[in-house]
Amino acid sequence: MSDNQFYESFEELQLTRNDLDSKELVLNMGPQHPSTHGVLRVILKLDGEKVNGLECVIGYLHRGIEKVAESRTWAQFAPFVDRLDYTAAVANNFGYCLAVEKLLGLEIPKRAQYLRVILTELARIASHQVWLGTHVLDIGAVTPLFYAFRDRETILNVFEKYCGARLTTHSFRIGGCRWDAYEGFSREVLGICDDLGPRIHEYANLITGNRIWLQRTKNVGYISAADCLSYGITGPVLRASGVGLDLRKAQPYSSYEDFEFDIPTGANCDTFDRYMVRIEEMRQSIRIIRQAVEGLPEGPIIARVPKVIKPPVGEVYVSTEAPKGELGYFLVSDGTAQPYRMRVRPPSFINLQALEKMAKGGLVADVVAIIGTLDIVLGEVDR
Amino acid sequence: MKSILGYLHSNVTPGEAGNLFWVAVYVVLVFAGVSIGVIFMNWFERKVMAHMQVRIGPMRVGPHGLLQPIADALKLIIKEDLMPANADKVVFWFAPVCVVMTAFCTFIVVPFGRTHAITDMNIGVLFMLGVSSLGVLGVIMAGWASNSHYPLMGSLRSGAQMVSYEVAMCMSVVSAVMMTSMATGTGTLSMIGIVQAQMQQRTWFAFSFFPVGLVALSVFSIAMVAETNRAPFDLPEAESELVAGFLTEYSGFRWSLFFLAEYTGMMAVSSIATTLWLGGWLRPFPNLLGGRNWDLAFSLVPGLTFLALAAFCFFFYRRMPQIRSMRASAIGLAAFGCVLGLLGIIMLLPGVRERVQDIYWFISKVGFFMYLYVWGRTTFPRYRFDQLMTIGWKVLFPISLAVVILTALIGVRQELFALVWR
Amino acid sequence: MTVIELVKKFFMVDLFKGLWVTFRHQNPADLVTEQYPMERPVISDRFRGQPRLIKDAAGRTICTACGACALACPEKLIKIGSLRDPETKKKVLTSFDFDMSRCMFCGLCEEACPTSSLKLSPEYELALYTREGMQLDRDKLENGIPRKEYEK
Repeated sequence: MSDNQFYESFEELQLTRNDLDSKELVLNMGPQHPSTHGVLRVILKLDGEKVNGLECVIGYLHRGIEKVAESRTWAQFAPFVDRLDYTAAVANNFGYCLAVEKLLGLEIPKRAQYLRVILTELARIASHQVWLGTHVLDIGAVTPLFYAFRDRETILNVFEKYCGARLTTHSFRIGGCRWDAYEGFSREVLGICDDLGPRIHEYANLITGNRIWLQRTKNVGYISAADCLSYGITGPVLRASGVGLDLRKAQPYSSYEDFEFDIPTGANCDTFDRYMVRIEEMRQSIRIIRQAVEGLPEGPIIARVPKVIKPPVGEVYVSTEAPKGELGYFLVSDGTAQPYRMRVRPPSFINLQALEKMAKGGLVADVVAIIGTLDIVLGEVDR
Repeated sequence: MKSILGYLHSNVTPGEAGNLFWVAVYVVLVFAGVSIGVIFMNWFERKVMAHMQVRIGPMRVGPHGLLQPIADALKLIIKEDLMPANADKVVFWFAPVCVVMTAFCTFIVVPFGRTHAITDMNIGVLFMLGVSSLGVLGVIMAGWASNSHYPLMGSLRSGAQMVSYEVAMCMSVVSAVMMTSMATGTGTLSMIGIVQAQMQQRTWFAFSFFPVGLVALSVFSIAMVAETNRAPFDLPEAESELVAGFLTEYSGFRWSLFFLAEYTGMMAVSSIATTLWLGGWLRPFPNLLGGRNWDLAFSLVPGLTFLALAAFCFFFYRRMPQIRSMRASAIGLAAFGCVLGLLGIIMLLPGVRERVQDIYWFISKVGFFMYLYVWGRTTFPRYRFDQLMTIGWKVLFPISLAVVILTALIGVRQELFALVWR
Repeated sequence: MTVIELVKKFFMVDLFKGLWVTFRHQNPADLVTEQYPMERPVISDRFRGQPRLIKDAAGRTICTACGACALACPEKLIKIGSLRDPETKKKVLTSFDFDMSRCMFCGLCEEACPTSSLKLSPEYELALYTREGMQLDRDKLENGIPRKEYEK
């Protein structure tokens, strides 16, 4: 209020007199910042410590991947898709291959489907490890980051032995898998499952029961189930708000219906529930991996795919349950060897809409926690 | 000359004896000792934190990172010294000086032994707490002088945090001081007097009036972590927080002065905790396991510790990679091991070992608190500022008040029972 | 809250559990740091590292200059020069340019090669001081990039 303001009433005068700093402060949490996961710029409107409004500025990592798709062949484009959600590249590859296979109308051999499930669930665990480490680091505990990355190393070693790369894996091909399981694959993967159980229990000892953690995460970043559905939010964020929607159960793909696993949900829709949901998801992933490895059928690993992939004219939307949420690929084919249009439905981009809703009315110190709990990867947000 | 040599036979601190030469010598020794402590703490913290995080810390700057603090100090000294254009120059210059001076001044009364203190004031504890409170002034000056919104907010928050937790600290100190009056009927604030009271009452105050002493020690430990802005109460200097701490505009040598003051402050409040609750320079069980043989056994411990450290050095020397470019490091490690071994042997000599004993036990108790600091930093997440203040005022303050009242009640229980029964 | 929970809260049991976890990890057997370059990582066979052209036992190049890898590459960074041998009527490789600075190590070229002469070797130490050094010619592809071995 300016100094020449005519106050309507004495109460209003009192209110403005009591506010020491009634002018709204605009604070820029710039693209380079130790806590935002990637180059995310957040403009905060603060009233003291309280957040009145929030605006995200994205696009610092935009590489034009969807445009690139229009000048590559269907098979050539697959390595680019890894670069979207780089913490779980296998899941991205999985979705893309499924979409093109649906366009082509291919039947994938069972062994390939099981191998894909094993690797995707390993990628889910790896992605959740990154989330765990960075989220807890933002809240202040420095150690779980190292424990999480130590566990992630074992998974990345499996990826390296399987497809030759740790991060940008390009593990699957259109029609199935390029490589079969290597010598010792089952043994190593089951070993990871055995080791990971007690280690997740260790995180519980170190973080979950910790009173400081509970105070920092309970009732922070609330978003109701109705809001989630209206924003289109999917993944652990939605499940922690009570809606038990998991595409692996709702629209099973690639033999997920063969496996028994639970869908963890939360009741309080706050940061703590999202944390518990993701920890529990890691445990369920271990369950799926065990079942898949023990039931791995024999057979071919790739279907008969034409040498030059030219899907018939048409469009398809295929969505899978990526670690961050519903990852969808909308592919339009015009009958040539190159896609006409490739559109990604990035879960992080859509989940990021919730940031304003969750942070408004809270404190500045919680904004960092909320960005962490949404588990965004800027590669996906910006593409 | 006579007075200089004459002091060597006295049994009081140089300050009490009025011997200016020895006061100067002790000042230099304490200053050097504290500085070496800070340097050691830097290395120790990085190594211990790393090991707890399943990695090894610095390994390349010197064997096992032993020269890392020196490299850090050199780097900070040669860094460009920036001063914001609109900053208040005098205050900006003075703030780190104030913080460092107050932190070092607290060591005037810290007793490393009966005669091993610069002086012994009869208000020793009060002096230490008061001077460390002056450090808050330096913090606020730092934020103010930066002439920027966020450092100012950060320094005010840091100042508020330090002041809030001082209340709980001082209340627990009051309870310990009250315990000193049990045997003699009069309490004492003098640091040396408190340790002597523990000796007289044949128990460390942490274990007296069980469990009140332990509660007082715990309250003081938590409050001292908050006082020195360390995890889990390090929001003002956290890196991932939005509102930058008061250190933002400081770089190079000025920043290293703040960091020096932080570690010195940690050691100072750990010294208070050691003196008040853990028996200061007293060896374990001076009364229970008394007598010449036990005295002899315990006096061998410092020398044996250093010999054990030297053995560690040689063990790691054997495990160093046997490549040509690492030879200098390996020889350095072996030399360091030899120095430690030599120190150990010197500390086993009959003349030296009685004198060194007190200092050794004091420093190992302070070292225990330092380890707790590092351990806590590695393990715990950070409290938000409002939660921090809630804990300071709504949790620690009532508990420390209750501790004071309980101590008073238990202390006068004889008179109280007599009153009740009459 | 039950009595047990109150007692646990007062005695900070949850905090001590956390402290015990970090204390336990100091065990030297748990340390996972690899002190590179003294300890080098074990690389798998399928690792997609530096591209190499394989020569046969006699030292002749196996590559038939078919150009399949150049067609397969998403970034079009392979340029193959060849000329047709008048006697055998077969293509003979003259030059093979590989722009490693734009390569994303996807392995599509390796997959496309019908004679398995182009391979992504397990060589991972690819840092160079110049951008020009990343332009691999046939000689570098066949014999490797000369580089310094670091031991410390």
